[in-house]
Amino acid sequence: MIEQTVVDPRHLFFDAPKETEFITGSEAVREAIRRANVDMAISYPITPQSESMHLVGDLFAEGYIKEYFRGENEFAVMSSVAGAAMGGVRVFTATGGPGTLRAFENFSTWAGARLPIVCAFMTRGVNSPLTIQPDTIEMASMLDTGIMMLHAETAQDLHDMILRAFMIAEKTDVHIPVGVFVDGFFVTHTRDKVDIAPKNIKLPPYNPYSAPVPVMDMENVPFRQMRDPFVMKSNFISYAAHASWQQEVLAAAERSRKYIDQYLGGLIETENQDAEIMLVTSGTAVSQSREAMAMARAEGLNVGLVKIKSIRPFPEEEIKKIARNAKAVIVPEFNRVGWLAREIKSVVEDTTKVVAGPRVFGGMTMPPELILDEIRRCSV
Amino acid sequence: MSNKIITPVEEFAHLLPQEYKDLVAKGPFFESKGVEDLGTFKEIIEEHPHCAGCGVALGVRLASAALPAPEDTLIIGTPGCSFFGLAQTAVNYATSAFGNQNAVASGLKRMLQVRYPDRHKDVVVLVGDGGIADIGLDLTLHSWFRREKITTIMVDNEVYGNTGGQESGMSSQGKILNMAPTGKKFPKVPVFEIAKISGCVYAVRVTVASPRKVGQAVRNAIILAREVGPTYVQIYTPCPTNLKFPPDQTIKVARDAEKDYYAYEEFITPEAEEYLKKSR
Amino acid sequence: MSLTDYRVLAGPEGYLPPAAATQGITLPEKGGALVEGKVVLGTYAMEQIAEKLLNAKNPVFFPGPLLLWAWKEGVAEKAKALKEMAEAAGAKIIPMPDYRPKYPMINPDIEINPNHPNLTIWHNKIDVCVFAGVHCHYANVALKIIRGGTDCYTIALCGEAGHEDAMISLRDVGLSELQQLTEIIKQKKEGAK
Repeated sequence: MIEQTVVDPRHLFFDAPKETEFITGSEAVREAIRRANVDMAISYPITPQSESMHLVGDLFAEGYIKEYFRGENEFAVMSSVAGAAMGGVRVFTATGGPGTLRAFENFSTWAGARLPIVCAFMTRGVNSPLTIQPDTIEMASMLDTGIMMLHAETAQDLHDMILRAFMIAEKTDVHIPVGVFVDGFFVTHTRDKVDIAPKNIKLPPYNPYSAPVPVMDMENVPFRQMRDPFVMKSNFISYAAHASWQQEVLAAAERSRKYIDQYLGGLIETENQDAEIMLVTSGTAVSQSREAMAMARAEGLNVGLVKIKSIRPFPEEEIKKIARNAKAVIVPEFNRVGWLAREIKSVVEDTTKVVAGPRVFGGMTMPPELILDEIRRCSV
Repeated sequence: MSNKIITPVEEFAHLLPQEYKDLVAKGPFFESKGVEDLGTFKEIIEEHPHCAGCGVALGVRLASAALPAPEDTLIIGTPGCSFFGLAQTAVNYATSAFGNQNAVASGLKRMLQVRYPDRHKDVVVLVGDGGIADIGLDLTLHSWFRREKITTIMVDNEVYGNTGGQESGMSSQGKILNMAPTGKKFPKVPVFEIAKISGCVYAVRVTVASPRKVGQAVRNAIILAREVGPTYVQIYTPCPTNLKFPPDQTIKVARDAEKDYYAYEEFITPEAEEYLKKSR
Repeated sequence: MSLTDYRVLAGPEGYLPPAAATQGITLPEKGGALVEGKVVLGTYAMEQIAEKLLNAKNPVFFPGPLLLWAWKEGVAEKAKALKEMAEAAGAKIIPMPDYRPKYPMINPDIEINPNHPNLTIWHNKIDVCVFAGVHCHYANVALKIIRGGTDCYTIALCGEAGHEDAMISLRDVGLSELQQLTEIIKQKKEGAK
């Protein structure tokens, strides 16, 4: 391990000189974690995530992480990660697809316990029939767990979002878990140019004593504490306490908006935002949409693009405003159900403008021509 | 911990509720207290909502009294009857999801070792039979296989009490219970036997009818878990409410079980035995 | 009503009032404070706190665990400063010793619990209260319940980022801020004589 210096996060993110490397998405995860000052990482294999956590394991062997092991299944791993986070440290793990669903109960438990865990989700299809191929269907299940959800388009996004997720998650007024989602294989197993800060700098350590809940170490107060209290009596007092607690978790996600602005430049990015036809999507579907937009604009069609980077919290006001000025909102997706189109329909004023598709799944790539066809139909 | 976290600030000391004044003045922190001292010190759990005659409440009380260093003890529980009293414990306590206690404890213990490399932080799992033997069995066993330095204590009431008297893996064969309307079809899950071959360096099977033995077992188990390896204590804590016996008969039921199928047994590896001798 | 029209006022607001953060109320940056949902200068908020406390019939301070135990350096000094402030304001002090749902019940004469803070406020007829030394999550849980079911005016002296759910919230409060606020209270009291 080379000596690392703790630097201000903004220096690491913005000011430090960057070198461009041609690496896979999984390697981009490793390079993020190398600079993230992570105390513990716990792994469990599942395609297409495994490689990322192998590489994180290598970082442990090199001395960049203090503790690392392979757990027995995803439910157990996410539980161990919770225990570690309660102990007042910075933790990282990753999973995907069926692993996400196997671990599912933990995610709302993390959010409710105000644990600032960062977890990467390398998304893939879920059974049945069995598949390991790219698909974002698991994100539909995750929408209301209370965790924050960022969606990466590229390896660069994946690297940047993981590093910045720690800083956002650990803000005292936020302090909830962040899931960084990336489309499996399309990003994890392909090579791309990624700009990376020097190896010899890292994020400041996590400070457990600024947390909004007491850390479990018998070194702080109150020593008499139940970390995840049960408020389960059948009376109004218990209902009100539970309700207020749940609202506070929602509020925490709301407070993250300003930090997403600061660290990620906003919940969305737009290109040609006043165009007649807007392509609105997230993840790698943004890349195909960008291609389709270029093809359409070459034909003289007035098309713009919205890349949604944060799914939770959701950019309600931003999308509403853009949809107001557009004639049509096309939502390409890599899943069967069209969860993103539903989200968008739930915030725009005129839902008839929303074209819920094109959608591909089961591992298919999305030819930009599919999107172009939709653009042409909407332009008539 | 440092005694600072139980030292009231001068300005507000007189305003603390009596229970806190008692904990400060005559709690078990930094003093070696045990089951035999019950009644002479302020316990870390007193008031609780368990049923009258609850064996689990007694098991939890005995285990709490036997903690060798409550000032550095963190208890991990799980949903179920066991957490009613534990929620009132005057140490750090957490439950997260049903059955995940040994995995949570693994993460917590490892991180406390990282944060406090020169100190012992005792991470103790204290949960019921459903949490350990059914829904959390794989997580329990894997924590032992991995040799996690934690103590696992089962308060075995042979039934899902909190959810209303359903069959658990630890129920006796033939017992008619909810979800076993014609009687349980298989014997108790042999967690104690499994512990011996799964990495535990010390395991004890005991009942609440032998409180001193419970205290000794818990104390040994926690001390051994600090350096030698995982440990397991299985305490029979009969449930009058769901096993349908009068609440003043709990000890008798436990004593009868001791003579029958719940005899005291201790398993200890030579290494653990050596360590205990040295630490005495 | 657009989101930003929401104001954080004394209740009772209703059956289940929302978290102010979900109604467009945002926390101030360093140097700022919140008064009834609006971002203001910290010094202005201190003036408002002094007014509210001095005009209250039964103001009460609720020190939480972070100020009840001498667990780290600086706590004793802050506790002393908070006590002086309460005395200057003529306020009583009722502690929040911990956050567990306490069994069988709290004694509302002498303690407050974040899961049902309304019981202590109703029982003691508290019209203005001050939170200090309470972990942020539990303060927010309690502040919403108070706004929902009582007419108590809530003030949060927060050492971190502040609380949208309090009617007045300071942020980054340390020893010097506590002392500064006490001075303002004393001056206003003198001025009123």
